[in-house]
Amino acid sequence: MVKSLSKRIGNAVILLLAVLVLNFTLIHIAPGDPVEVLAGEMGGATPELLAELRADFGLDQPFHVQLFTYLGNVLQGNLGYSFYYDKPVTELIFDRIGATLLLVITALLFALFVGTALGIASAQKRNSLLSNVVTLLSLAGFSAPVFWIGIMLILLLSVALPIFPIAGMATADEPEGNFAYILDVVWHLVLPALTLASIYLAFYSRLSRASMLEVLESDYIRTARAKGLSRFLVVYKHALRNAVLPVVTFAGLQFAQVISGAVLVETVFAWPGLGTLAFESILRRDSPTLLGILFFSAVLVLVVNIVVDIAYRIIDPRISAK
Amino acid sequence: MFHTRIMRKLSIIAPLAITALLSATTISAAEPKAGGTLNTTSTGYRTLNPAVQSGAATGVPGSQIFAGLVLIDEDYKATPYLAESWTVSDDNLTYSFKLVEGAKFHDGQPITSEDVAFSLETVKANHPFGKAMFSNVEAVETPDASTAVFRLSAPIPGLLLSMEPLLLPIIPKHVYGDGQELKKHPRNMENVIGSGPFKVAENTPAERLVLVKNEDFFIEGRPYLDKLVFSIVKDSLTRVLMMEKGEIDYVGFSGIRATDAGRLEKTGRLTVTTEGYGAVGYIHYLELNLRDKPFSDLKVREALAHAIDTSFIAKILFGGRVNAGTGPLHTGSVFYSGDVPSFEADLEKAAALLDEAGYPVGANDERFSFTLDIPSWAKQAHGPMGEYIQSQLGKIGIKVELRQAPDFGTWVKRISSFDYQATMNGSFNYPDPVIGVHRHFDCDNIRNVIWSNTQGYCDPAMDALLDAAAVETDLDKRKATYAEIQRKAVEDLVFIYMPQDFTATVYSDKVGNPPSSVFGPLAPWHDVYLKD
Repeated sequence: MVKSLSKRIGNAVILLLAVLVLNFTLIHIAPGDPVEVLAGEMGGATPELLAELRADFGLDQPFHVQLFTYLGNVLQGNLGYSFYYDKPVTELIFDRIGATLLLVITALLFALFVGTALGIASAQKRNSLLSNVVTLLSLAGFSAPVFWIGIMLILLLSVALPIFPIAGMATADEPEGNFAYILDVVWHLVLPALTLASIYLAFYSRLSRASMLEVLESDYIRTARAKGLSRFLVVYKHALRNAVLPVVTFAGLQFAQVISGAVLVETVFAWPGLGTLAFESILRRDSPTLLGILFFSAVLVLVVNIVVDIAYRIIDPRISAK
Repeated sequence: MFHTRIMRKLSIIAPLAITALLSATTISAAEPKAGGTLNTTSTGYRTLNPAVQSGAATGVPGSQIFAGLVLIDEDYKATPYLAESWTVSDDNLTYSFKLVEGAKFHDGQPITSEDVAFSLETVKANHPFGKAMFSNVEAVETPDASTAVFRLSAPIPGLLLSMEPLLLPIIPKHVYGDGQELKKHPRNMENVIGSGPFKVAENTPAERLVLVKNEDFFIEGRPYLDKLVFSIVKDSLTRVLMMEKGEIDYVGFSGIRATDAGRLEKTGRLTVTTEGYGAVGYIHYLELNLRDKPFSDLKVREALAHAIDTSFIAKILFGGRVNAGTGPLHTGSVFYSGDVPSFEADLEKAAALLDEAGYPVGANDERFSFTLDIPSWAKQAHGPMGEYIQSQLGKIGIKVELRQAPDFGTWVKRISSFDYQATMNGSFNYPDPVIGVHRHFDCDNIRNVIWSNTQGYCDPAMDALLDAAAVETDLDKRKATYAEIQRKAVEDLVFIYMPQDFTATVYSDKVGNPPSSVFGPLAPWHDVYLKD
């Protein structure tokens, strides 16, 4: 286990390096440069100022020099300075990563548990009302664009029925006390998390339903039934473990997609996270910030995948035996 | 018995009724009331210091945090602010300002003429329009702590307009004078110290900016509000929904579309107004690259002007909520003149002009084709205008290919390297035409920088007019010169002007005294209050 883990980590480092080089190159291929965008936002500037800023950012250097300087800095743990905010990229990321993680993890866990539960419940009675409703909803959730779901939820649950706030992470006039603040954040979290969860909810319910149906047909389930075990025991003790394996695998793989989904959800709900920052950094050609975020997400995805690997072994002991 | 009961009841009711009556009269008198939190939004900013950055994102909160020497009222007249009085010499070359006694920065330090001199230097060197506004200011002398004397090498007719907090914020020398580069100074975002009506309490650029009342503000009894909360909301649809639901009390530069305006007004609580943007005056135009054929030919440009019906655009695309506009100056400017050649909508005339210019209808019923760039910003305006132009020109045999810019950087690169044929574009006038208008016409300003003279227009006659207008101190003479400039710009069709922008402020009926000067939301909000 330790050996395979260290091999995985070794692979991960090589992968990260490739991610850095690839992203750096891609950003530099895009037309337009950050200095022109900055000048635009200032409302115009002189060519001398543009040249000065370019020299400041090191953009007047040849491409390979810029790339190696950047890689060298990252190896020393320095993600550089944002062109736009004039702040260390790590500081920008740490300011916002909490909000994104809160949103992404809540959405993912919600989707995972509720999706799996719905899928398994509907698998047991095919063609029942529940089963059909789940199939229909998951189809809808799967095909509808995530920002559209967000806006529809706002229209329904904060404009028509004013239950939840439209946007932001906390009320403008913050309530006093820690507990009240936490409640306030949770209240603001419901709609964005639900929106982000909708796609994955649909996906997990379909996946676990299909997987459960398959497992329920298998020989060992028939044996268990023949033994006279209760239906509950057969489903939740024997079948469930095998049925959730693909769900767990996908949850790990999809973590990356959830982060990208967060970009849209954060924009619609004005959620102060990394997603919005990433999106804006692309538009502003703020390559240090964007590279920093991509690097960070890559690290996160790799870590999650390693965790999933471990979880996999716990759920199915046969895997580590191989 | 019965009687006494009534009497008793009356004795209880009467004082209540009187109080109610009294409070009713106070309400009708609309006496401003202190206290309360005003909720507003921002699309995000990179600095809070207007001395180094232009634009509304920095300017709106910046004008609350920093004070300036004067304020400009509804009629473009300067009124005292940090300067309680000033005198101007007969030759218009010396301005002497007397500062308000006892005015302090948010950290308790007194504001002195040294700070004024330092601020002028900073703005001149760092603000994108610093040179356009103040290059003729030779020196600021500080004979004593409360007197600042501006010495000019040539008259600057718009000097007082440029002394609004937005354009010449008085920044503390003891904070910013530490030798660090001003554009990147850490105090532009952290622990920001100004002397305006509000001070920074919380600055979380991802989430919100909270400003609280400056108790030591130099105007007695102001500001009325206790707190301003700017929530960072980038998505315009989300913003509209927040306004509709009442989560926002006031927002300038709201970014709403003309079609959203009716929807917001229907709530009965919200007012949508395009007032208060005269000083910044946003103008939309079709920019043609004048270096190359076919647009180097004036006849072709005239044909285009006849084919594009701007009043139709104003009516249909902007719901009749904007002025069609006629030239380079916003109708809200004191220098606006409508006395310019007009090109009535007439497709036949357009076709005839193209024939004359040597572009007859060829194969496929086509005269020529060109690519029209659509910028990524202000898409709600540029997109539909581009499509309208495409269909109109199609009718006279010009094939227009629309090229949507994926993002700002791509579009800026194309335009500022002159690598385009035509683009939808627009720019701000700013309070004095020297700042926002001259840049598009000056021969010297054909530069690889966006919103300069990128289209490549150069005419010595125009340059002479611009130079004269820049130093003319007699208002009537200056107006006459600008009238000529406007006539010439339209005659030469340097740009084909589109309707003026739908820039709107939205506020709820809870808000009293919404900022009403020509600077609108970019002026300080110390008179704004919340009704009960």
